[in-house]
This record gives sequence, structure tokens and C-alpha cells, in this order.
Amino acid sequence: MTAFRVVLVVVLAVVLAVLPLFGSDVLIQFGINALLLAVLAQGWNIIGGYTGYPSFGNSVFYGLGSYGVAIAMVQWNLPFAVGMIFGVVLAVGFAFLLGIPVLRLKGHYFAIATLALAQVMSAIVSNISLAGQNIGLVLPPLNNDRLFYELSLGLLVLSTLTVFWLTRSRFGFGLIAIRENEEGAAVMGVNTTLYKVLAFALSGIFTALAGGIHAYWITFLDPESAFDISLNVKMIIMAVFGGPGTVFGPILGALVLSAVSEVLSSEATNVAGLFFGIVVVAAVVLMPRGVADVIRQFRVSGWRYFIENLKAHRI
Amino acid sequence: MDLLAQVLINGVLLGGLYAVMALGLALVWGVLNIVNLAHGAFIMLGAYLAWHLYTYFGIDPFLGLPLTAIVMFCLGYAVQRGLLNLIVRAPMFNTLLITFGLEVVLTYLAQLAFSADFRTINPPYAGNSIALGPLVVPLARLMAFGVAVVLTVGMWLFLLHTKLGRAIRATAQNLVAARLYGVEPRHLYAMTFGIGIGLAGAAGCLYGTVSQINPYIGATLTAKCFAISIIGGLDNPLGVLVGGLVLGIIESLTVLYIGATFGDVASFGVLVLVLIVRPSGLLGKTA
Amino acid sequence: MVLNTFRTFCAVFAAVIAFSGTPTFAQDIVLGASVQLTGPVANTGRYYKDAYEFAIDKINAAGGVKVGNTKRKLVLKLYDNQSDVNLSVRQYTQLVSQDKVNFLLGPFASNFALADSAVSEKYRVPMVQGGGASDQIFSRKFKYIFGTLAPASHYFASTVNMLKELSPAPKTVALLYADDAFDVSVAEGTRPLLQKAGLKIVIDERYSTNASDFNSLLSQIKSVNADVVLVAGHETEILNFVRQAKSLAVAPKMYSFTVGVPSEDFRKALGKDADYAFGMTAWLPSASLKDRWFGDAVQFATAYKTKYGYDPDYHAASGVADVEALAQAIENAGSVDPQKVRDAIAKLNFPSLYGTIAFADNGQIDLPQTVIQVQADKLVAIYGGEGFIEKPKYPMPAWNAR
Repeated sequence: MTAFRVVLVVVLAVVLAVLPLFGSDVLIQFGINALLLAVLAQGWNIIGGYTGYPSFGNSVFYGLGSYGVAIAMVQWNLPFAVGMIFGVVLAVGFAFLLGIPVLRLKGHYFAIATLALAQVMSAIVSNISLAGQNIGLVLPPLNNDRLFYELSLGLLVLSTLTVFWLTRSRFGFGLIAIRENEEGAAVMGVNTTLYKVLAFALSGIFTALAGGIHAYWITFLDPESAFDISLNVKMIIMAVFGGPGTVFGPILGALVLSAVSEVLSSEATNVAGLFFGIVVVAAVVLMPRGVADVIRQFRVSGWRYFIENLKAHRI
Repeated sequence: MDLLAQVLINGVLLGGLYAVMALGLALVWGVLNIVNLAHGAFIMLGAYLAWHLYTYFGIDPFLGLPLTAIVMFCLGYAVQRGLLNLIVRAPMFNTLLITFGLEVVLTYLAQLAFSADFRTINPPYAGNSIALGPLVVPLARLMAFGVAVVLTVGMWLFLLHTKLGRAIRATAQNLVAARLYGVEPRHLYAMTFGIGIGLAGAAGCLYGTVSQINPYIGATLTAKCFAISIIGGLDNPLGVLVGGLVLGIIESLTVLYIGATFGDVASFGVLVLVLIVRPSGLLGKTA
Repeated sequence: MVLNTFRTFCAVFAAVIAFSGTPTFAQDIVLGASVQLTGPVANTGRYYKDAYEFAIDKINAAGGVKVGNTKRKLVLKLYDNQSDVNLSVRQYTQLVSQDKVNFLLGPFASNFALADSAVSEKYRVPMVQGGGASDQIFSRKFKYIFGTLAPASHYFASTVNMLKELSPAPKTVALLYADDAFDVSVAEGTRPLLQKAGLKIVIDERYSTNASDFNSLLSQIKSVNADVVLVAGHETEILNFVRQAKSLAVAPKMYSFTVGVPSEDFRKALGKDADYAFGMTAWLPSASLKDRWFGDAVQFATAYKTKYGYDPDYHAASGVADVEALAQAIENAGSVDPQKVRDAIAKLNFPSLYGTIAFADNGQIDLPQTVIQVQADKLVAIYGGEGFIEKPKYPMPAWNAR
């Protein structure tokens, strides 16, 4: 990273940080949502982008984080920070307990297993009365969007720094090695099981924190929205759209797609969902390596980039 | 005792219905390695097609099943040829995303075309039942079970003993070698996917007769079909029948003995267990 | 590469800011709502859109709402929340903070109302909703949420009263309920009523929302020979329930459902199988319900059917009541100040096509439910506050004897 780029990123971060001072309420709302989605995408990036294990179970971490905060605040009257820690503890516990057996699976089996886990957790939580069963919990309202915005931004900065650290640390290199050739990595002395579970847990921590912030912000959660699989798919799409395995790709993907989705939802509500689906399909076909890759290669190959992608992947 | 027997019958018949639903998904997944997250949406479309055939032309859903299947086959062929063939050699993950996008699009189009009203296919015999002493066997589900067995065994024989079936399996195992033998892969992939969607269409016919249709049933059905395919194993169509039966029976017994809110816990719990202990499924070969 | 990223980022942000404004005329009174127009609950959600538009058009045609000395028109700003609770919360926030609407109309369904009322309370803008009946919505001591659906816990009250007067007297009851806010409230309220009436609850079972297979539960009902089956659930579940009851030859002496029966859609989907089913409604189009804008409930129902092509049920009437409540409250307060109008809503007491609109201290209306039954494709009012209105078709014959 050149000095110029570092300065640019810092400037961007500062701009984002002071946005609430002169932005409208709706912009701040959009910001919170987009920032949280960016955190989720970054979190997924760790296990999916860098380690190569496409997890559909991040919604479990999200849900555990949300419920951690909700149960702590509503049932036990503890402060928000304690709730967040509780959520993280739940997420890490889950990552270790269920991560070990599930991470032995490869490719789409891993994806399906995590998807099934998300469904199981949703079904289990809807039977636990401490969690309000299927009706969910209503949290005490806090009318301070700016606080949530800054918290989300802080979390995004933290997660991005973590991913950046990954690109320069031995742990991160180990994860990339696992992604490229797991057997080779094991032969080379990488403790693949430990590394995978750690990546899973790390991914889970950020996801759970994001879930906790979201729950407090929305003041309401129920199993369906907390363990929502389509949220997991959104995380993945944003990470993949932006560029998996890169530091800024997921952020870019999250912000662009959030903006598109928000504009559609407010201007053309009827077809918002339809357009989203079409965008996903088009993106996967035309730019499977993400927007980050498009930006990088466009200067080199121009419009031929898309055609080359098509030719490379079809039969 | 009677109650247990009745619930077991319910479970078995439910299992048959589940098997038909999952057959297309398992075929496409096991043979083409394409994980179709839009499978449930295709079942939904098949159900709507059967509903239209029944409501506007008076064609009975069971008799009209071949017609529905053929129309859906053509749709599947077109989708594969026009869209999915474009990403076959991309990372497997991309098929998950693209079929997810497809599911969203199909659901929306269905909602635009058919509105959010729910429909049922209600032929006069739909509510009939056969009495076996104190036990009751719903007729429609029994017929669906029969269809399930026929289709599953048919699929199995097709893949093992017909030229097209063998060509499909060859292409899936080794694309280059198949090409060298003169197989046209784009056409063959499209044929296979078409068959998978044709089966989904058939499942839709049956589903509309025993349950109700609305544009949003796709996602839940896909999730169930996943569970069934994995539990049974992707190598063999007969595995789907086993997977369906296992799931149907487990769900019915769970509702009876544990509680009606634990059905999903049971079915997905079993799925997770199978994945952890024996990922190739109950009937799959352990690699 | 980072520069390009930065440029893209700026462009996107600019686009968002550019798109985030909508002009409204200063004179009009804007009512905002986020309703389920698409998604799994859309088949009932869209009734609210139709009802809100219908009522607003009618009020405007009569000159509008009198605020002090001027008459102002009502304008509706409606978003589709795609049956997603989180999206509806964000949309309500947008309505208040960005679109600067004057007042809020509610979504359909209790779980939505529960979440969305947090927004109206946070921003102190009155919301009148006609889609959520769960007692939970009104138990948080919120001041800005009002509801025109009668409390969930009382839904089966008139039905239980009727059960006491039926002959041959039913003795055992199976109570099934979905696991969402509304239906759990219904069950909690119904249990003590059944116990007081001397009826024995032999099955008391909570089931998963969106369940499609009721065979196990139906087999249990059959094996204990329950006389009465009460189901609190959603239309799709009840549809499946009835069809599967037929295919398993389960025919209790009577069954009653919290939703479905009043709606034409539901009866059409079941056809003849809908016969004998009991339900309840807090509203029936009767000429005795006089209304300032529509004349009476019958005229309303006819006009509604002409415009939209389907008979309005209590959801539609409730939606209209919401608009009328706001209009009347604004006139009573003589201003559009949220606080003043809020107080005016709390004090409302006026007749309308929906019945008397008056809210209890917790913000919820209380109207008695009338027991209805499907008799040969027609919806018949059977039992009300004063006893039997019509003769019920009871007990229900076996399926093969219909």
C-alpha cells in the first residue's frame, strides 16, 4: 500500500465518520444499514474469500449476536456492551463446537451443512422461551442513530484492519494456502483444522457484533429475521460482487448493492426484488470475480473483459 | 397403537411426495454438479401450470402430469441452454448465486402474473380416502406415492440402461472424453437439466393437489428437497426415495411425540447429522 | 485502482443523495404507510392498500379534512415492505424522517405492527393501524400507537359463549395455534374462557407458522375424538388444515378458525369444502352501521366491490376505519400538530361503517366478534352479543355424508 493510498483511505474514513453531522436522518439510516452489511461481507470474506469455505452459516453468528444482546438487555437487564460480549461468546462457542465437524466437509457440502445449521438454529430458538420463542423480543428503544452509525463504522474499520492484517500475517497466508490447495497446505505443516476453525470464529465475531448492533438499532428481532438465510446470501453476493479475497472488495460490493437496493426500494418498490434478482444473475455471468476485478482489468481489456469471462466459463 | 400406525402411514405417504419433489434436484446435482436453489420455484411454476390446465381445460392433474412435465422440460432446457451453460465451468459457488438470483426472479414473475392469491387444485376425488380398518389412507397422497415410486424407478432404469442416460452420466464424469466420443455437451447438459425441471413440474402437479399454491412456496420446498437429497445420497435416484421416506417419517413422529414446532429442528438436525457422519448419504457410496 | 474505487464510491453516494427527496404540497395532509404488497402475506396486505386509497378518495371527494377554517386534502404515501419486517421498520423511519409525513397508517399483521410501532413511538408521530390485534402491541405503554382490530385474546369469546348454548353440548376441545404474536395471544386468551365454560381442553398444541402438513395433528384429534377444534393461524395453514382434514376423514362436531372464513378468496379456494366452517368477524356490512362519508356499511361494501372486484372483509373495513379515525381526530383537534392529534385520537368516540371508533386506554379498540359460518357458499352471521342470530349447521356431518 503506497502512502498515497493510505492517506486516501484515511480521508475516506474520516469523511464517513463526520457524515452524520450534516447528513439527513434517512442518509444516516441508510449508512448504518450499508455499513453493517459491509461488516457482514467482510466477515464472510474471512471464511469464504480467504479460506475458500463458502459459509451459509454466518447467519447463525448474526442471529446469536442479535439474541445475545436481546436476551441480555431484555431478560437480564444488562447493558448493551455486556450483551455484545455475550453474543460474541455464543458465536465463538458455536464456531468451535460445530465448526470442527462441519469444516471437514468440502465445497458445496460445507455450504449445505452451514445452511442446514442456520435452519436448525432458527427452529431451535423459536422453541426457547428465554428468547421469546417465535414471537421474538422487543428491546428498549434508544433514539440515537448517530451512535449506531459510529459504532457500525468503527466495526467496519476494525474488520477491515483485521482482513488487512490477514494479508500480511502467517495466519492469513495459511488460510490462502488452504483455499488454493488444502492438502498441499497440510503437507507443508499448516494446521488446517485449527486455522479453519479460527477463521470461522473470527468471521463469527464480526458477524455477531454486527448482529448485536442491528438488534439494538431495530429494537426488535425474531428467529426468522435473526437467522435469515437471505441475509447470508446478501453477504455472499456483496462479497463476491465486490471481489472476494480482497481487502476492499466486500466493502465496495456492500455499498454499491445497498445503494442500488435502497434506491429501488424507495422509487420502484414493485420491481425492487425483481431487479435485485436480475442484477445478481447478470453479475454472476458477466463478472464472476467481482467489481474489484472489473475495475482492475477494465483499463487493460475494456469491454472485452466481460466477453472473456463468458468464454472462460461456459461449456 | 392405532394413532402410531396412522402417523406412520402419514409419514410414509408424505415421504413419497417429498421424494418426487427432490428427484429433479438430486438428478441435476448428482449428475451435473449444479446446485439449483431455484428448484422449489420450478415446482411452484409446475403447480401453477397444472392449476391452469385443470381450471381452464378441465384436465385432471394426474392425467395431465405428463403434459406439465413436458412443458417444464422445455423450460428447463431453455434455462440451461440459455443461462446456466454460461457458468458451468465457473467456480461451483457461482451456480449457487445464479440460481438464487433466478429464484428471486421467478418468484417475482409468478407474483406479477398470478397475484398473491393462493390456489388449490381440487379435483372431486382429492379429499377421498381409503379405509383400512381404523386407519385412513388419503387417496391423493397414495396416488402421489405411486407416482413417486414409478418416477424414481424409472429414473434409475433410465440412467443405467438407456443410451441417453449413459451419455448423461458419461458427460458428467468426464467432459473431455465424452466430447471425444461425439457427445454434444451443451445439448446434453440442457437435456439433463430439462429432465430435472420436468420432474419438478410433475412434483408441482402433485403438490398443488395435496396442498396449496402461492408464489412464495419455492424457498421452503427447495430447503426440504436439499435435506432429502443429501440424506438419501446423490449417487442413486432410489436414494431420493429413501431420503424422502426417512424425512417424512421422522417429521410425522416428531410432531406426535415431541411437539408440532419441532418439525424443522428434526428434519434439518438429521440433515446436519448425515452431513457430518456420512456425507454421501444413506444410499451413497462412501468415496 | 483505489482511485477508481473512490470515484465509483462517490458516484454512488451522489446518486443516493440525489434520489432521496420527494416533494409534497404544503397544504395537503400526508398519511404514510408501509404495507405488504408483495411477499407471503401480500394476499391480505393488499386489502389495506385498497382500503386506505378508497377511504382517502372518498374523504377528499367530500371536500377533505377541515383544519380550523381551511379544508385540506389527504394524500397517501405508500411503500411496499415485501413482507419483510426489517424493511417495513426502515420504511416507516423514512416516511417520518425523510418524507415528513404528517401521520402514519399501519401495516397488516401483529408482528409488523409490533416492530413498526417502535418507530412511531420513537419519533412521536401517531400511527393508527388496523392489521395487528395482538395484546403485546398495546402492553408496552406506548402512547402513539392505536389499533382498530379487537384484542386477539377475545377473538374466540363469542364462539365459546355459543358453544355453551349448542346442543348436543360439546365437551372436549382441541386448541391449535401458530407460534406468532397474534395466535399466541389468541390461545392465551381462549384458555381461561374455555375453562370457565366447563369445556375440557384435550389437545393444546402450538405449531410452526407456515406449517403445511397437519396430518399428525389431525390424526391426534381424531384419536381423542375432540368435539370442537379451534385453530388460530394463518390463511394458508388453515387452508391446508381443512383439505387434510377431509383427506383423513376427520370431522369434529364443529371447527372454528381465526382467519380465512370471512374472506371470499379463501372460500373460493376451498369450494364446497369450506362448508360448515365457523369463523369470526368484528364487522359485517350491515345497514345499521352509519358512516359520515359512506352512508352506511352496505353502501360502502357495494361501492368497494364495484371498484375493486371483491367483497370487502373486516381487514378492509378496519383500514378504512384507520383513515376515518385520523380524519376525525384532525378535525377535532383543529390542527395537524402530532401531539394534539394524538390526544384527539385517544378521546375519539364516533360511529362509522366499522362500528363505534373509540380506543381504550392502551390504544386498542374493543369490538365484540360475531360468530359466522359458511353455509352452502354463503357467509351467515350466527351468534353475536345478544345470542343467536341464525341457526348454526351443527353438528358437522362426516365428510362422506355431505
